[in-house]
This record gives sequence, structure tokens and C-alpha cells, in this order.
Amino acid sequence: MNNRNYNIYFNTHTISGIIICALLYVIFFAGSFAFFRNEIAAWQNNASYKTYQENHENFDKFLDSLKGETNLHGRDINFYMHREGTSAYIGYTASNDTILNKENLSKITPEQKAEKKKGRRGRGGDDDSKNFMYNFANKTAGDYTTNYDMGEFLFRLHFLAQLNQVPINIGIAPFGYLIAGLTAFIFLFALITGLLLHWDKLVSNFFVFRPFSKWKTVWTDMHTALGVIGFPFQFIFAVTGTFLIVNAVLVLPFSKLLYDGDQQKMYQDIGVTAHDNYPYSYKPLTVDVKIAPFLELAKKKWPESEFKRIVVKNYADSNMHVIMELEPHFNSSFAGSGILTVKVADNKIVEEKSPLTDTSYGDYVRSVIYRLHYGDYGGYSLKMVYFILGVMGCLVIISGILIWLVARDKNNVIPRKRKFNFWAANIFTAICLTMLPVTAIAFIAIKISPKVDQDFIYRVYFYTWLVLSLYYIARRSIRRTNRETLLVGSILAFIVPLANGLVTHNWLWKTFVNGQRDLFIVDFLWLMIGIIGLLAFYKTKKFFQKIQ
Amino acid sequence: MLSFHVLLTTFFEKKDVVMTAGFTGYLLWAVLMLLAFLSKSGWKIWGVYILLATVFSLPYLLKM
Repeated sequence: MNNRNYNIYFNTHTISGIIICALLYVIFFAGSFAFFRNEIAAWQNNASYKTYQENHENFDKFLDSLKGETNLHGRDINFYMHREGTSAYIGYTASNDTILNKENLSKITPEQKAEKKKGRRGRGGDDDSKNFMYNFANKTAGDYTTNYDMGEFLFRLHFLAQLNQVPINIGIAPFGYLIAGLTAFIFLFALITGLLLHWDKLVSNFFVFRPFSKWKTVWTDMHTALGVIGFPFQFIFAVTGTFLIVNAVLVLPFSKLLYDGDQQKMYQDIGVTAHDNYPYSYKPLTVDVKIAPFLELAKKKWPESEFKRIVVKNYADSNMHVIMELEPHFNSSFAGSGILTVKVADNKIVEEKSPLTDTSYGDYVRSVIYRLHYGDYGGYSLKMVYFILGVMGCLVIISGILIWLVARDKNNVIPRKRKFNFWAANIFTAICLTMLPVTAIAFIAIKISPKVDQDFIYRVYFYTWLVLSLYYIARRSIRRTNRETLLVGSILAFIVPLANGLVTHNWLWKTFVNGQRDLFIVDFLWLMIGIIGLLAFYKTKKFFQKIQ
Repeated sequence: MLSFHVLLTTFFEKKDVVMTAGFTGYLLWAVLMLLAFLSKSGWKIWGVYILLATVFSLPYLLKM
């Protein structure tokens, strides 16, 4: 490699790295926890879904109870299943029957209307459609904000969804997603330049660790060693992450060029969604309105698969259809997506695609992207490995910031620049490193507080984060930030399983014995964070004194 | 990048190309960005990229 290329790699790597470091740290940290988002949700509500028995009758029971409140006739009802079928995000549209729709609309009181406007922030308009969450395990419904949980919060934080509140929209994606997508793409760029930068010394430097010489080598060796070990993992996340968050960048031009601007058609062609243009017939259905038999049918056909989405088109109309989208369980097939559409009036199967055998090329690609990103193809041990690799990514970012600072902390750099460099590194590390204690505090807070909703989690998380960050920015000592957040974070990490045990009496040995592994894993995770954190704290204490 | 993938649709099924672009597209973009930094002259690389884009989109434009 000639010197010129080396310098180009070096500079592009440095600049792209320092621009995204803080955001990327937030994404990695929150994302590592987001692998366990279902477990965190179960843990928060102290309701294990591992012990839940799937029962399709529940769908009809639920629809019957819903009918008591609303006239469902002619509506389309959507079930987005999550948490292994124990809860669903449900939405129903306005009735496809224009006459009935008018009747329904006339029944809406102005108060309800105002409520809806407020709740959905102006989206949706003037119909009587509605979205809410339903938990099949304990049969409770609630709107999104009251059912909000820590798992959802961290999951959404890891693609910066909270930043969507910023009212800047350039048409491709909401502001937060756009920033997250840009960060992911720059991250991909930084990874490639970083790899090329170390290419010549990839093997020899891999075995070099010189922690006892001077500050810069500590951070460089950490950065390169962990960066090279974690490279394949981080590379996967840079690529899949960019795809998942800003795929509009590709979808828009491709659908324009290849599908005459019809995005719906493109999605159906690449097999993301089932065909759903079944018109309303204005003739009521003569047979019983039940959907459980169809769900049974799908499960009997493909027992090793799970429902992803269930759509009921034209409820109780003679052209009522049940569309089921399934995906295979990871034990039976890595890739695949299935569709089963049944016409209710005559039980005829309209569209069928097996999730287990009819795997198209597109399914493979999509499954590779999703499964690799979510780490949901190998149980908890795999998720643990993913978590560790994710935290390693955080360490690479932090050491990167510190290399950047130390390399510029020389006498030949003019004081104004040195001041700015320290200022930037100080702020970045304060924001990044306080995430550990803040997350632990939030986990404790949701256990202690009797009522937890979106507002509560936002307030606890963002205010403690703000206060702690400001404190460490004001302290102006990166070493203190580093040491203290590690110590406080580890101690708080021990308190998380303690708080859970004291409040719910579901101690971690109990959940382990009872087979509630989703509850156990969260306690266990925090316990491990605490132990490893304290070990790191005491081991490095000596070393830090020596190096001074 | 886009023109290259549109070119591919003349050889392969378009739904497969669209799906594959999910990762090859971003990779190609990142590499193209790096190549732009590596080039000796900004004008030259602009020229090369524009030329490539035109060549790649020729089959698509001719089919219209």
C-alpha cells in the first residue's frame, strides 16, 4: 500500500468515525439490549410468555368482544403478531360498506373525535379506524402509549425513533430514521476504510497488545484488536441496518424505474406482502364468522411456523377473506415466508405459499437480512454472543474517540484546537458512558413505580441521561467519567435483579426452576453486567495507577 | 449504483435484483464513495462515474 492511499484511508476513517461516534454508540448500546426486547417486555410485566399455550379460539373470542363495542361489519382487521404470538398490534379500518360507514361516523361524539386527533397526532383523518395493542396472555387491551415498555423503548432508541419528533422531513424517511440510516451508512464506510487501513498489518497487529507502555497504545491496540475480531459482526450490522432503516432510498427509485412507480406492486412481486385486493360485495356472509378454523388449518399444514400477520378482509361480508402471513421457525428452516389466503364463504384457498418449502430467492435474501440483524435464529446462547459482540462494538467506538483525542494532544497542536478536541471528546464520552447507569436506573425505576407508560419511561430515561451527561461534561475529566460510570453502572446492575426479586418475589432462581426463561434471562444479563463491570473496575484500577 | 442494478434486470428477474440490491447496493455505494476519495482528480472521477452510469442505463433506455 503506498503512502498516499494509506493517508486517504486514515483520514476518511478518522473523520467518518468521529462524526458518527456518539450516535453509533447509542445505536450499538440500545441495540444490544434490543436483542432481548421481548424478554424485557415480559420481565417488566412479570408475565412470562414461555408458559403461554397458543389457542386460536382466543381470536374469535377477542373479535366477539370487540363486536360488542364496535360494528365490525365490512371492516378490514389487521393483527401484527409479536412476542411469539402472545400479543398483537391490532388495527381496524373504516368499514368498506359506504352506507354503514356513514352510520358509524354519525355515532362518533365530538369528544371521541378530539381524543383521536390528539392520540394520533393528526394522522389518519376523519374515519373511525383504530389501532391498539392486545395481549392474548392476560386478555387486556390498551393503546400504544400505556402498553409501552422498556424493551420497546430501547428497541426504538436503537434506530433513533424518538428523534422523529423533530419536525424536519425531507421526504425519504422521518428525521430520526434518516439520521440513523445515515449513521449506519457512514459506519459501513468507516468499516471498509478501517479494514483497508489495517490490511497490511492485519495478522501481525492482531497479536499485539501493549497495554503497559503508554496511553495511546492502550487505546489503539484495543481499537484494532476488538475492531478486527468484531469486524464481520459489525459489517453485517452496518449493511443490514442501513437496509432496514432507510430502504426507501432504494425502494423509491427502483419502483419508479422498474414498476412504473407502483410500490404496492413491487412489494407483492418481491413477496413481502400477500395480494389483498378483495372487493367488498355488499352481501352479508351466510356462514358463521369464525377465523380460528383457518388458523388451525395453516398450523396443520405447516406446524413448524409462526404467524407474522393476520388480516381479515371485509369482516362478515360474503367476500370475507382471511389472509395469513407466516414465517418458519428457525429450527426447521432459516429462510422463507408463507402465505395462506382463504375465502370464508366457501372455505376455498385462494393463495397459498408454503413457508417451509416454497422458498424463493427473495425470501432467502430477506431472511438473511432480518435473521442476521435480529439474531433470532439460535435461542438465547446466540443472543448472548450477539450481546457481547454488540458491547464490544461500543468499546471499539469509545477507544476510537480516545485515540482521536490522544493523537491530537501534542505540543505542536495549537492550544485553541487542543481545547476544542478535548471539549468534543469530553462531551462524547460523557454522553456515551452514562448510558450504562442510566439504563440500569430506568430498569429499576420501572420495577419500583406502580404505573409505567411511555411518558414515564421517557422522563426517567432522558432526564437522568441529561443530568448525568451534564454533570460529567462539567467535571471535565474523561478518566473520572470512565471509572465512575463503570462503577456506578455495575453496582446498579446488581440492584436490577434485586429490585425485581423484592417487588415481584420472582427471584431469578425461581424463574429458572419454573422454566420462565424469558424472565430469567433479563435478571441474569444484568447480574453478568454487574460482575464483569466490577471485575473490569478492580482489574484496571491497578493498571491505571501504574500508567499514570 | 442504480443504473448498474437496472442493467442487471436485463439479465436477471427484476424482483431478485431489487432484493439483492438491499445489500449489494449499499456496499457498492460505499466503495464508490471511497474510490472518489482515492482518485487523483475530482473531475476525472466525475467523468468516469457519469460515463459508467450512461453506459449501464443504455439497455434500459433503449427498451423504453
